[in-house]
Amino acid sequence: MNLGTLFSGPDMASILMPEWILILGITAMIIVPNLGNATFRLPIPNTSIRIPYLLGGKRFSFTGDPRLPSAIAAFTLFASFITALLSQMIDSGVGVAEACISMTGAVNECAISDNYILRVDPFSRMMEMIFTAALLIAVIANMDRLPATSHKRLQLEVQEDPVAENRRLAKLLNNRRQVDFSLLVLMVALGMSTVALSTNLFSLFVGLELASMASYVLVSFHKETKIGPEAGVKYFIVGSVAGAVGLYGISMLYIWNGDLSIYGTGGLAEKWASEGPNGMAIIGLAMMLVAFGFKVSAVPFHFAAPDAYAGASGPVAGVLSTASKAMGFVALMRVLFGVTLGDGGNEWTILIGAVAAITMTWGNIAALGSKNPKRMLAYSSIAHAGYILAGIAAIGALGPGAGSELIATAIIFHLAVLVTFKIGAFLVVSLLECEGRGHEISHFHGLARRDPMIAIPMMIFMLALAGVPPLSGFLSKLMMVSGIISSTVGDVSGATLSDAFGSLSWVFWLAILIFINSAISIFYYLRICVVMFFEETDRSPRMSRAPMIRIAIMLCTMGAVVLGFGVLADVLAIAASDAAAALFS
Amino acid sequence: MDLSNVIQMFGNPLTALTLLPIFGAILLMLLHWLSNDQRREMLASPIRFVNFSLAILMFIMATSIGLQETFGLAWGEYLYQNCQTGEIIEGSCALIGSIGVSWHVGIDALSFPMVWLTTLLIPITMIVEWNAKKGAYFHSLLLLMEGALIGVFVSLDLFVFYVFWELTLIPMFFLILMWGGEDRRYAAQKFFIYTFAASVFMLAGILIMYFNNPADWSGNITNKSFDFVLMENSTGFIAAEGLRSVVFLLMLIGFATKLPSVPVHTWLPDAHVQAPTAGSMLLAGVMLKMGAYGFLRLGVTLFPEQLVEFQILLIVLGMVSLVYGAIVCLGQMNLKRMVAYSSVSHMGLIFLGIATLEPLGIAGAIFMMFAHGIISPLLFAVCGAFKHHYHTLEIGSMRGLAHHSPWMSAHMMVGWMGSLGLPLMAGFVAEVAVLIAFYMAFGWWVLLPAVTLIVTATYYLWSMQRTIFEGEGVAQLPPTMHGDKPRDITWHENTGMLILGVLAVVYGIYPDFFGMFEMMSNWASLLVENVLLEVRP
Repeated sequence: MNLGTLFSGPDMASILMPEWILILGITAMIIVPNLGNATFRLPIPNTSIRIPYLLGGKRFSFTGDPRLPSAIAAFTLFASFITALLSQMIDSGVGVAEACISMTGAVNECAISDNYILRVDPFSRMMEMIFTAALLIAVIANMDRLPATSHKRLQLEVQEDPVAENRRLAKLLNNRRQVDFSLLVLMVALGMSTVALSTNLFSLFVGLELASMASYVLVSFHKETKIGPEAGVKYFIVGSVAGAVGLYGISMLYIWNGDLSIYGTGGLAEKWASEGPNGMAIIGLAMMLVAFGFKVSAVPFHFAAPDAYAGASGPVAGVLSTASKAMGFVALMRVLFGVTLGDGGNEWTILIGAVAAITMTWGNIAALGSKNPKRMLAYSSIAHAGYILAGIAAIGALGPGAGSELIATAIIFHLAVLVTFKIGAFLVVSLLECEGRGHEISHFHGLARRDPMIAIPMMIFMLALAGVPPLSGFLSKLMMVSGIISSTVGDVSGATLSDAFGSLSWVFWLAILIFINSAISIFYYLRICVVMFFEETDRSPRMSRAPMIRIAIMLCTMGAVVLGFGVLADVLAIAASDAAAALFS
Repeated sequence: MDLSNVIQMFGNPLTALTLLPIFGAILLMLLHWLSNDQRREMLASPIRFVNFSLAILMFIMATSIGLQETFGLAWGEYLYQNCQTGEIIEGSCALIGSIGVSWHVGIDALSFPMVWLTTLLIPITMIVEWNAKKGAYFHSLLLLMEGALIGVFVSLDLFVFYVFWELTLIPMFFLILMWGGEDRRYAAQKFFIYTFAASVFMLAGILIMYFNNPADWSGNITNKSFDFVLMENSTGFIAAEGLRSVVFLLMLIGFATKLPSVPVHTWLPDAHVQAPTAGSMLLAGVMLKMGAYGFLRLGVTLFPEQLVEFQILLIVLGMVSLVYGAIVCLGQMNLKRMVAYSSVSHMGLIFLGIATLEPLGIAGAIFMMFAHGIISPLLFAVCGAFKHHYHTLEIGSMRGLAHHSPWMSAHMMVGWMGSLGLPLMAGFVAEVAVLIAFYMAFGWWVLLPAVTLIVTATYYLWSMQRTIFEGEGVAQLPPTMHGDKPRDITWHENTGMLILGVLAVVYGIYPDFFGMFEMMSNWASLLVENVLLEVRP
């Protein structure tokens, strides 16, 4: 690829506008917080002309402000979100609704014959929006989780007393940590966007690793606690092994085909459809599923997830369970549907179906028994991954068609609405963490009396997770089950019940399993609601102020309600349906 | 969605009737919650008046709907139906068009009595508990309850129906939890979990119906619809016999728990006893009727063959509720608990009336819903006043109530007489209609329910004797009074009870008052003619 073409012409600039904004944000994040009054004395004798070069010195009060990095990150993510949204909503020059970028960097209409590496379509735009929205909420909430010390209150002199000196250093460090955190978040956003856009396994892997590496650090960001680094290391080791296995799988696919493009002439899909896979291709694909399975925390690869969620701070755990999981599903859907769906007979569907069944059941049963709310939410996240995997297995079994599109719509819709109520639930836990609690279910006792404006949103999140109408969690499950049932059962009119059941595809039972599992899950979600409203507590009614977390919780609450019922739910469902159509085109 | 569609959607009186109380109540609560302490004191009574006037406005609106129309509608026709089902194609009342949810409201002779009853009872509950603690929230919750209840009765889209169905739980849950008796926590939990779990069965049934209800309009990505009228009009809706039975039974579980019928009735006595007076008035007056309404609307109308198939089950459920409720009443020492079990007993009659498959029986069942909706709130209002003024609910702890509280005794008499089925009271009309239809359908088996009604009379008369009379000229006060002199009921309690008592008598003498019995029997005969006649053995 010729690097020059990346920057040539207005097309590239407008197509990848959300990503350019992220890159600009990263650049600004590196530069702006370092701006100070540093000057450079011209090396001319007998003069004292100093030229300000700004990088370093005593920082201005503006650039030294601890809120600045978060503000930059929030603004960047918001701008990226809005550009992605506008490019879909109005057909203007801001971004382009659908285009492809080929190996040579040329921007084209997405023709079948061309093998391109990045593809901008409603699907990738939708996913970009999901990622940036999740990260945006996390950044907003995180302003209260990294204690900020104003630049003006920092002591600059070295203290003689070692205790005071340590405290001073800690404060300095705190200030810098804001930048680190925000920078990593923007890296995650960039990596995830790359995954959403990629139609080439190589660029997909690069994006995946960029996002993963940054998220390993984010998980262990609570380095002053005991469990933070432990969680990070665990997550890193398991994640990197999974990533390595995935890379090995990609290389096997490369040996098989000689090209890593998914679509286009000489692409994987073409070869798969025309010649059929051989052993190497199947093993390669299975190995890739390991990498993606770790990302979505499907069951054999889920062991690091509860530890990682429990060790990470609330907003980060929220990101892991929404954006990071969505990224895994994007990769999974791109690869599986893109490569193998044209074939018809799909070897992997039974495998994925079995994994889905085990994942959702295991997740729910483990969640029933977990005492730590964060672990409970982690297991519930695993269960949700199981529901989505069931949808993917159903699509594989059904092949392209209206039913599959509906199920894909449900998956995308679910990933979108998870951003509201899943992160919201983690943020409530995070608010309790601000007072050093939140790792036991008993810390939720009497929350309704202490602060109803936190307890009622938490109840809404729990009910949405359980899939109670009219909240948004219900719609996604409804669409999923409706898609599976309507395309497997078909027309039952006239048939007796035994006839109808006899001719059913095995996928139908996945829908029933989803239903049963949702019923089981109501118990542990309602348990949180029950202890919030019914148990007594001797804690004082005052909770931590944490205004930013509260704002983020309010945003999530509104999202969980309005996206479940009414006009906005309709808008989102139609957008998801467009995205699903683009995925299969 | 252009403007005319929006006007069509929201210019509907039924929409206003549903949404105005809900949003009004939420706004009033927010207003009170957001203001500072000093202003809260000032705002308390204006908010109470606004709540009350909104409730009165709702009553006037509902009454005017009743006055304008005669409800001689054809089968499957609804007044103020805001979208004919075909019109959803143009997006006229799509709410979540992509999955086939629409804002489809309408009213017919089955739902109008319930809507009118709701709008009537809400102001009365407000008057009766005019001086409730934290009145701004209390009355706002009642108003919220009104909107949710009307929503259940007018929505013809099953998704919206289910949403309102669950929404009714929330204000009632808080009413019990915050203003209830000593054991309120347990009662509120039990009430919530029981009814919530039951409605999950109902939801499963609704979903199966949804999956079998095709609707092919643009923008609908599932190609399915929750629209009830589409289901009603489609031929061969859910053709598989077994599946129909499954759906019918799921519905039956959901509605029988709400009604409540015997094996799943245990939440009711706890909730009734612990709820505040207004709460139990509404629970008994309208919320129990939701079960019967839902069963008639969804179970009977859509699955007539299954009704015939499970006729015996319904009769058994009804009979057991009737007999068990009456016998348990005999042993009760708690006044409110006795009234609560009498509700179980009377609700059994509704199942019996429906199971006759006769127009008269179904009309009687509907009239039973209405009559019980007037009489049992009266009874609970009396119980509440008794608790309020005598600090006890124990039957027999005092004798000669009539000496001290003549008004309360009078209302108690009217309520109990109405409930035991004294001729010229509303309850009698319903019971007689059901019993005649039972005779028409099953011959002399009618003696079974008829004899049970004697037990009903026994427990009422016995407790009446032990409470109101038997003082031998001097009242015997309960120990909870600590020697204080009891007062009679206050004027606002009296007003509420008077209205209910007068209505109980008026509907006993002239059941057609406001066209009620006529429209009910019209609906019932149309139901039998159009739906049941082909499947009746």
